[in-house]
Amino acid sequence: MKMLYLLLLIFITLISFTSNSFAYLDPGTGSIILQAILGFVAASIATITLYWNKLKNFFKKLLSKKDKKPDDF
Amino acid sequence: MIFDKGSFRDQAGKVFYSNNKVYRIINKEGLNRLHYIIEKNIIEKSINDNYLIQTKLVEKKNFSEEFSKDDLIYEHEKIPYISYPYEWSFSQLKAAALHHLDFHLYLLDLGATLIDASAYNIQFIGHKPIFIDLLSLKKYEDGEYWTGHKQFCENFLNPLILQSKKGINFNNWFKGNLEGIKTQDLNNILNFTDKISYNIFFQVYLLSKFEEKSKNSEIKIESKLKKKFPKKSYCSLLKQLKNFIKGLKPKKSKTLWENYSTTNTYDKIEEKNKIECVKKFISKNSFDSLCDLGCNNGLYSILSLQNGCKKVIGFDYDLNAVDQAYNFSCKDQLNFLPIYFDASNPSTRIGWNEVERKSFNDRANFDCVLALAFKHHLSLAKNIPLDEVVMWIISLAPKGLIEFVPKSDETVKKMLEIKGDIFKNYTEENFEKYIKENGKIVSITNISKSGRKIYEFER
Repeated sequence: MKMLYLLLLIFITLISFTSNSFAYLDPGTGSIILQAILGFVAASIATITLYWNKLKNFFKKLLSKKDKKPDDF
Repeated sequence: MIFDKGSFRDQAGKVFYSNNKVYRIINKEGLNRLHYIIEKNIIEKSINDNYLIQTKLVEKKNFSEEFSKDDLIYEHEKIPYISYPYEWSFSQLKAAALHHLDFHLYLLDLGATLIDASAYNIQFIGHKPIFIDLLSLKKYEDGEYWTGHKQFCENFLNPLILQSKKGINFNNWFKGNLEGIKTQDLNNILNFTDKISYNIFFQVYLLSKFEEKSKNSEIKIESKLKKKFPKKSYCSLLKQLKNFIKGLKPKKSKTLWENYSTTNTYDKIEEKNKIECVKKFISKNSFDSLCDLGCNNGLYSILSLQNGCKKVIGFDYDLNAVDQAYNFSCKDQLNFLPIYFDASNPSTRIGWNEVERKSFNDRANFDCVLALAFKHHLSLAKNIPLDEVVMWIISLAPKGLIEFVPKSDETVKKMLEIKGDIFKNYTEENFEKYIKENGKIVSITNISKSGRKIYEFER
């Protein structure tokens, strides 16, 4: 059983080396975590901006309607 | 066929030289990587848009050597002078960083990406930065992370921040570390107020904390990689870095030679004589490449280009002067590359097996050398024997000009004021003798009343 586990480990190690063609480059775990956070921050900012703009437009419309009312009569 | 000794990190291909031309073998693995790039004509597009070095596919039958049937051979335009990031000034590294980011964004737009972010993949042709590593290109896979991010920070971002925030030149540190400046080292140098900046907080402070954490504890990278990194975020990260780098300025300290051309000790008539002498010499020869030792802000380099020389590489150990010279080169779109160089401690062979990055002597291949108001700084300021200085200058090119500055000159007097005259060999007679030992004197031009003379030599 132990032998089988060892062979499996060697197999996985070999696979992981050959599948990663850029093994010569050290991407750095820290960099990946940072990118994940930056990605989240960027996505959050984009979502907040979207809703903020929607909210702004809503109030703009509301205000412009109020402004127009006296002219309608 | 000679293989480039620095071209070993990527197993998918290799650079080699044959008949004074530069080629790259792409093997089966490399071909798989470039399949999409070739199919979508991305190489041609990148060349036409001035991002990638001129590259063309050549036939294997042109070579006497045997290649594997899957190999592809590309020919690259030869870079006039290979320079390294530790030899660039702030503006040059900044231009290279922006070129890298622009090219990466351009590729992402075409569905491709870059696998690394090495500053050594950027070279300068005159003032223009250009990307040289074809095998760095690959197809963009949806959700992939920027694998070159850490390398980009160390090679480009951190050295620029170091100079911009702390006024510390990155060059000698970079040369010592080869891969640039580590984020953790930079984080230790920056103070609290520096880290208030959004980009420095994320790219330096937070990144160094994560790197530290990943070293000390077992973070499973696989689980992180399973989460996709949206392309939008990828592009915005590159754009953000681009805008940040664009705004970085060097924290300047006044240096001695920066204003040399306006504050030097010789008068205008002497300068006029010197200009005339250089003009005459350059015009009567048609030099392809010229080496300007102690180029300062590039006055005589530019003069040489205006008088028929095709390209000039300027060398100076004052980084502010190099920066100024580079900005002049950019402004007038010149084939002039000034680089940081300390003749008393030139770039040596470094990297793996001491051959990865070439030394100054390995790369020195010039038609002409100018050493104007230069050699006394080596002989008198650095105590290097005059005969060795003359021999070294003459070894650089078959023709050239060397200025002799006598001890009666104001500059030399100032230099010897504290040191005292400990240089008995520093005489005009000896100087002439040393030239004759290594070549011949073609002409001697008096340029000043103080006894400065320009010697034209041939070997």
